Formats: sequence, C-alpha cells, structure tokens
Amino acid sequence: MESLFDLSLINSTLRMMAPLLLAGLGGAICSRVGVFNVGLDGLMLMGAFLGVAANAYTHNVWLAILIAVIGTTIFSALYAYMTINLQANMIVTGIAINFLSIGITTFALRTIFDVQGAYYNNEMQGLPTWEIPVIDQIPLLGNLLSGQSPIVYLGILCTIVMYFFFKKSVAGSHFDAVGINPIAAKSQGIKVKRIQYQAVLISGVLCALAGAQLSLGQVTMFSENMTAGRGFIALVATMLGQSNPIGVFLSSGLFGFTEAISIRLQGLNVPTNFTLMLPYVITILAMFIFKDKTQLSALKNSAGSSR
Amino acid sequence: MNKLKTNATVFIQPLLAVIVGLLVGTIAIMLSGESVIVTYQEMWDGAFGNLYFLTNTLERAIPIILAGLGVAFAFRAGFFNLGAEGQLVMGAVTTAIVTVYLPFQGLLNMVISIIAGMLIAGLYSFLAGWMEQRFQINLLISTLLLNYIAVLFAGYLVSEPFRDTSSAGGVPQTVMVDEASRLPKLLTGMNLHYGFVIAIILAIVIAFIMKRTTFGYEVRMLGQNVFFAQYGGINRKKIMFTSLLISGMLAGLAGSVEVLGIHYRFIEGALSNPQFAWTGLMAALLANSNPIGTTVVAIFLAALDTGSLGVERNTDVPNSISGIIQAVLILFISAKFTMNFLNQRKKEGK
Repeated sequence: MESLFDLSLINSTLRMMAPLLLAGLGGAICSRVGVFNVGLDGLMLMGAFLGVAANAYTHNVWLAILIAVIGTTIFSALYAYMTINLQANMIVTGIAINFLSIGITTFALRTIFDVQGAYYNNEMQGLPTWEIPVIDQIPLLGNLLSGQSPIVYLGILCTIVMYFFFKKSVAGSHFDAVGINPIAAKSQGIKVKRIQYQAVLISGVLCALAGAQLSLGQVTMFSENMTAGRGFIALVATMLGQSNPIGVFLSSGLFGFTEAISIRLQGLNVPTNFTLMLPYVITILAMFIFKDKTQLSALKNSAGSSR
Repeated sequence: MNKLKTNATVFIQPLLAVIVGLLVGTIAIMLSGESVIVTYQEMWDGAFGNLYFLTNTLERAIPIILAGLGVAFAFRAGFFNLGAEGQLVMGAVTTAIVTVYLPFQGLLNMVISIIAGMLIAGLYSFLAGWMEQRFQINLLISTLLLNYIAVLFAGYLVSEPFRDTSSAGGVPQTVMVDEASRLPKLLTGMNLHYGFVIAIILAIVIAFIMKRTTFGYEVRMLGQNVFFAQYGGINRKKIMFTSLLISGMLAGLAGSVEVLGIHYRFIEGALSNPQFAWTGLMAALLANSNPIGTTVVAIFLAALDTGSLGVERNTDVPNSISGIIQAVLILFISAKFTMNFLNQRKKEGK
C-alpha cells in the first residue's frame, strides 16, 4: 500500500487534473449563462491538435499555444453561433462539434503530416516544467507543488480568478443573471447574447489550454482522438462542482486523483479495465450525493430548444 | 394540403443539409489536392458501385439502423438516450458469450443468444432510467457515463475470463461462434446477412406501433408535452421505463446481429471504434425520430462511410472525410435557420 500512496501521488494528481480543471471551468462558465456545452471534448481535441501542429511549424511552444488558443476560440465561435443565434439544440450541436473536431483533426493529420494514428517529431519541444522559486525551497510543499507545466499553475490561477469574478465583480453577476433568467436580464439592459458568446469563447480558450496540456504538457505528440472522452469527464466535473470554480477544482481533483491511482494500480494485479473504469463509477456514485441546480436550469434551456 | 406542405419541408431541410455537407466535403477534398469529381465518383463507387459494394453498404447500415431506431424510440417519448454505444456493446458481448456456452447450436441458439443480448442491453438502459426516476440523476449524464463503463467492462470480459486463448496475442476476442448458429447471408459471397431483414421489419413494426397503437400515442404525447400527457392520465414513469427498455434492447440487438452476422465473435473495440451508435443517433435526429426516415438516413450515412473507404483506397483523401461531412450535416440539420430561411423565402414569395 505504501507504494500506492505517497507524496508524488499528489504531484501526479495535479498534472492529471489540469486538463479536466481547465475544460471544467470552461463548462462552468457556460452553464452559468445557461449554455450546456457538450462540445468541450471537441474543443479540447482541437486545442491539442493545433498546439502540436503549430509547434511542428514554428518550433516555439509559446507561439504554438497562442495559435491553439486562437484557433480553438474561433472553432468555439461556431458552437456559439449555432446554439445562440440559430437556436440549435445545445446537446446535438455539441456532439456534432465533437464529431467535426475528430474529423478535421484526423483529416488534417493525414493530409498535413501524412501519418496515420499519431504524429510525433523529435524536434518538437514540449512545455517546460517550472520550479517555483520560493515554494521550491519549502521541504514538503516544494515536492508537492513545484515542477509542473505552466498550464497547471494557470489552471489554479484561473480557478481563483473565476471565483472572484463570480463572487465580487459586476460582470460576474451579469453572467449569473443571464443564466438564471435571460428574459429578466434582458429587461434590465443586459446584453444576453453577447454575454453568452463571451462565455462560450472563454470556454474555447480554456479548452485550448486543456488540450495543449494534453499534447504538449503530459506528452509531446498528437494521436487521433487523444482526448479519449476527457471533455465529457470535464463536463461531469462541471456538474459535480455545481458550476462553482472551487467545486470544479475539487471534483476535477477527484478525477485526477483516480486517474493517477489507476495508473499505479496497473502495477498491481488489478485488471486495467477496472482501474480505467474508476473515474466513471465514482462520478455516478458522486451524483447520488450531489445534485446540481444550475446545471438543471441549463439543461432545461437545452431541452426547450430540442424541439 | 397543409400536411403536404409540412411533409415537403421535412424533406427539404435534410436535403439542404446534405448539400451543405457535400460542399464542405468539396472544400476538404480541394485542400488535400485531389480532383473533386474523381473523389466523389470514387465515393459513389465505393458505396453503390457494384453489387458487392452495395451490399456492403447495406450491411454497414444494419447496426446504424437498429441503434438509430432505439435512440429514436426513446427520443419520441422525450428522453435523450446517449447510451446507445454502451447498450450496443453490452448486447454484443452478451450474445457472443451466451452463444458459445449454450449446449446446442442452430436456430434456437441464435434466438436465445440474441434475446439474452437484447435483455442485458435493455436492462442497462433501464438502469439509467431508474436512476433518473428514483434519484434524479440526469439521464444524459448517466447514459453517457455508462457507455465508458460498458466498453471497459466488455473489454475486461474478453481479455480475461472469456478470451479466446487459442490464438496467442493480438486483440482480445471471444471464441468463434459455431457455424450453425451464425446469421445466414442474404446472398452467397456477399457480406449482407439476415440482420438487414430484421432491421427493416423492426422499422416497419415501430412505425406501426407509433402511428396506430395506444402505446405509441402515449409515447408521442409524453414526448410532445409532459404536462399535457400527465394531465391526460398518461403514466410518465411507466412510459419512460418501457421506452428506455425498448430503446436499449434495439441498441443491444444492433450489437448482437453484428456479432452473429459479420464478426462471428466479440472483438474488443470492433463495435465502439466505428461509432455505430453515434451514427445511429445522428440518423435518428436527422430523420426527426421517424422510424422509416431513420432507416433511410442510416443507409445514407453508412454509404458515406463505405464510400469514404473507397475514396481512401483509390485516392489520397483520408476516409475521415466522411466524419467531416456527417458532422456538418448534423450541425446544419440541428440549426433551425434552414427552416426559418425557407419560411422567410415563402413570405417574400407571397
């Protein structure tokens, strides 16, 4: 058991949870304004692909991330346009976005890089790991927190920023107003569509970062459909966390932890399939305990547009 | 007259979406530097070029039709069953195991193993419905999560206890189905099997149930307006459970006939990787949950798949082109603007 739980487990939990956290925060900001974004997975995949593709051409990891963010945000604008302007069903559109993303990325993988399955290039430079100056020196905490990719720290920062955004800022309460009752918000002069657009585009940015962490942080490669449903897990993290940034942080932490554990359990005699199942089973169990009200209203919105 | 008009718009919307989808496909082909006409010609040939390719397309359509019918059934009652993939895999793996362990072979074996697969899949779908009814666990989320669990669980079953150990290494798979217990082919030398007949019959039966029976009426009422349906004395719980059970059974059947008709065993990933269930979901949505429409659209989507395989064989355009076209299709069909666009045109015309 000692080999199963040690301090580096927390370190790998942080690494595993970062993509889920970022995408989950994206989902949270969408659901706060009444948009149920099922397309998180597709947005992440797009970010992961653009990150690697841009990296291969520019040989600069920071530029690559910038390009991934811009590209994915444009892609998320398609989702925004479909659901907000054209009133398309949010769930159907989200699934279509996921399909489109898989289609485009595999198509581009073959036509641009002429490879099937995965693209890897020795010249590509992954994200560096950062040692945080002060914390690094603290004996225990240094081991726990230091030495992660910048996106991991950015995820934590985003959680805090978003928490205060909703808690303290006027704009944040406008976001909430749109989510709670768009008609009432509109009557108060709040530009509902604009705010919904902003939320979806922000989720695009966050998902791009999440994807980049997958393809440039954890490994330095892109493989077909490499998100493997993580966007859906992030969506569940959103719901478990009741669209509250701190809640999303905790629930994605839970998933990161189960993922980190499941990797360790592979060394033991537990069948891999069961360890891989853990996050999903825990999520279902957790849903028995937590009930999300915000998400329900976002869902009601989406159901309203389903016919 | 009015009915005729709505019928026309029902068809025009998908048609417009198809045109836009093919347009986007054209752009993709141009980007990959191939001739558009040659590529679409290859796509057509790959899907319908000769009897072999045509029957291949119809064969590929079988699981899509059945999964689509399942999704459509639940959707008619107003329930979004995103779990068709898990139900399909559960049905397939159950059938593959039951057929091997039954002491007799032949038609009876076939029937029992298919029914077993359908039952397990139906119960799997029922479980999600029960969790929503009893614990308010959102159906969308639970069905989605149950997909992953089903695929992983089936993967465990075939890689540990029920693995075919006669062939070392390779992809985990179950023991071959006895020849006497396989679904026969419709035409000798072709891939198309009797699963297609089953699918077509079921589409007609479901269309009949929906249109002509009280149960079908109740299902449709519930789907259209929950409050009105309940006011009219329709038992939401009962309809929800039965429609989800039937929905799961249909998706499970999709997996079962794939096992008995074409693969003759359960191979890990062989049913979830081609995304039959999700394509079926698209077919159901594109056809507005009409059973006959779902069947037609499923064949069309299958043709895109087999056609794009032909494209990949003979040109430099990768087969993921079909994924792009399909996604654009569904995006456009789900948007209401084509409809609004038409309405506006009509008004202007007047």
